[in-house]
Amino acid sequence: MAEKKKWFQLDLGLSKAQGSGSCGCGKDSGDCGSHSDHPDKEYRLTAEEFDAAVEKELMGETAVSQTQKDGFQQVFDVKMDRRTAFRKLTASLLVGAGAVHTSCSLTAGNETKEKAQIDWEEQFKGNYKLMTKEEKQATVDRLVRSYQLRKKKNIKMSSADASKDVLFGYAFNISKCQGYMNCVSACVEENNQDRNSQMQYIRIHEMKDGEGFKFNEADDNYYHEVPAEGHFYMGTQCFHCDNPPCVNVCPVEATWREEDGLVVIDYDWCIGCRYCMAACPYDGRRFNWSKPEVPEDEVNKNQHYLGNRMRKKGVMEKCTFCVQRSRAGKDPACVEACPTGARIFGNLLDPDSTIRWVLENKQVFRLKEDLGTEPKFWYFMD
Amino acid sequence: MKIKPKLFILVIICLLSSCKHKESGYHNLKEKIEEESKHYQDPGISSEVYIGDIETIEITEGEHTFLIPERKSQLKSYACTECHSKPLSELQQARDQQQAHWEIKIKHANSQTMNCATCHNPGDMNHLNSLAGIEIDFNQSYRLCAQCHSSQFEDWKGGAHGKNIGGWANPRAAMSCVNCHNPHEPQIASKWPVRFNTQKEMERK
Repeated sequence: MAEKKKWFQLDLGLSKAQGSGSCGCGKDSGDCGSHSDHPDKEYRLTAEEFDAAVEKELMGETAVSQTQKDGFQQVFDVKMDRRTAFRKLTASLLVGAGAVHTSCSLTAGNETKEKAQIDWEEQFKGNYKLMTKEEKQATVDRLVRSYQLRKKKNIKMSSADASKDVLFGYAFNISKCQGYMNCVSACVEENNQDRNSQMQYIRIHEMKDGEGFKFNEADDNYYHEVPAEGHFYMGTQCFHCDNPPCVNVCPVEATWREEDGLVVIDYDWCIGCRYCMAACPYDGRRFNWSKPEVPEDEVNKNQHYLGNRMRKKGVMEKCTFCVQRSRAGKDPACVEACPTGARIFGNLLDPDSTIRWVLENKQVFRLKEDLGTEPKFWYFMD
Repeated sequence: MKIKPKLFILVIICLLSSCKHKESGYHNLKEKIEEESKHYQDPGISSEVYIGDIETIEITEGEHTFLIPERKSQLKSYACTECHSKPLSELQQARDQQQAHWEIKIKHANSQTMNCATCHNPGDMNHLNSLAGIEIDFNQSYRLCAQCHSSQFEDWKGGAHGKNIGGWANPRAAMSCVNCHNPHEPQIASKWPVRFNTQKEMERK
C-alpha cells in the first residue's frame, strides 16, 4: 500500500483535501522540514525514498515496457488507470518536487542536494540550439558533475561549436569495401551505443555484382568469410543531408543542421515521437526502445553534448560523424578503423582537401539524389 | 501609359524575389560548396597531434604535398649491406650458412614479369631500383609501385586510394603503399567480419 502511494506525494487537490497550511517551499503536502507535524503520516516519504523515485523517473525505468508492440497498440493495449496516467505525466513535477523536497530538507546530505539541484536545472533548461556559449558550458558542466555524483567517474564533455569555413563531407569507395565491419565495431565503441539491443548506426550491405543497388535483396547481417565471391559491399549511415527532411518534421526542434553541416540531436529535448525516423529516406536514425547500457569500463569518456554522451530511454540517436572527434580535427571512428581505406572524410570547403579531390576527380554519386535531400555522403568506384 | 512604370517595378520585384526559395540562396549543394570555398580561410584546426609517434617524411608528387611514414627505421634488418657484404652469387654458394629471407614468398605478378631484381638492386642492396635502373630510396618505395600501378598512384596522391593518418585537418598524412600491402604478396587475404548482430538476426526471424 505504502509503495503505491509514493507518487501521491504530489497532491494536486484532486482527491481528498490535505492539510490547509501551505509552506514556503511551495508545497502543501509532504515534509519540507518546516512543519513540526503532519496530519497524515502515510503520505510522508523519507528523503532517500523520494530520491530513489526521482532517480527511477529520470532513468526511465518506469515507462512503458511494451516494447514488442508497435504503433497504436502501444497506447491501446496498455491497461491505464488514472494512477498510471498521472505517474507518466508527472515526471517533471516529480523532479521539481524532489528538488524542493531535498533542498528544504535538513537531513539530506550535500551531495543529494546538489544532485537534486542539477536535476532541477537540467529538467528545465532550454533548447541547446538556442543556448549561449555560457549556457552550453553550464549544461555540460552539470552533466559532467551529475555523472561524477552518480557513477563516481570523471568524464570529459565538450560543447565545441562548428568552426567557420568547415563543411563536413564523406566519401565511400564501394570497390574498396570488403565487408569486414571494423567500422561498425569502432562506431559502437566510440559512440557508447546500447550493447543489449546491439544498436548500430552503420549498416554494411552485401550486394550481388552486376545488379546495382537492390537494398531489399541485400544482406546487411552476413557472417561468412568476406569478400564473398560475386558480391560487393556498401555502407549506409546518416548522410548528414544539407536539406535534411528529418529536421523539418521534428515538432519540437530537437534536431537541426549545424553550421558545419552536421545534423545533430539534443537528446534532452527529444520527445521520442520518431517522426524523424519516418522522414529519413536512408534509415539513418535509431530509437532507444530501452535504456541504453554500456559496461562502465567500456564507456568512451571523451564526449560531446551533441554526440556520444549517454542517452536516455525513448530518444532518437544517430551518426554524428563523431562530432566529438571531427570538430577537434580527428577522423570519425569508422574512417580510422577501416582497414581498406574505403572511407574518406574531410572539409568540403577546403579546395585542397582529399574529399574535394575525390568529388572532382572520381565518378561520384549519392543515394536517392532525386529527392533533393542533398546528402553529404558520396559513393564512388576506383 | 501610366501602367508601365508599375509593371516595371512589379517585374523587378518578381525577379529579385523569385530565386530566393531557400534560406541559403543556393540551388544545390555543389554550387554552395563552390561559392563558399572561394573565400576559404584555414579554420585553424590541426590534426598534427593525432599522427602520434609515427615518424613521417614530407613528399611532393605533382601538385600534392603530404606526409608519409618513414620506412627505413621500421625495417627489421636495414641496412641490408650489414649482411650483403659480398655479391649475391657468393652468398648463395655458402651453403653452410643459415638461409636468409626464407619466409618471403613472391606472389606478385608472374615470374615472367617480376623477380627479386625487378625492385631490388643486386649491386646496391641498400636501395631499390626502378625498371630503368634508377636508384630509389626505401623511404620512397611508392615510386616503385607507381611504375605499374599508375591509376592507383594517381588516386593515392589525390586521397582516393589508401588511408589517412590522424585526422582530416592539416597537415595531411597518408599511409604509403607498403604500410598496407606486403610488397612481396600485395593481395590482401579474405577474412571473417569482426562482428555479427545476433539481436538483428533474432528480430528478423
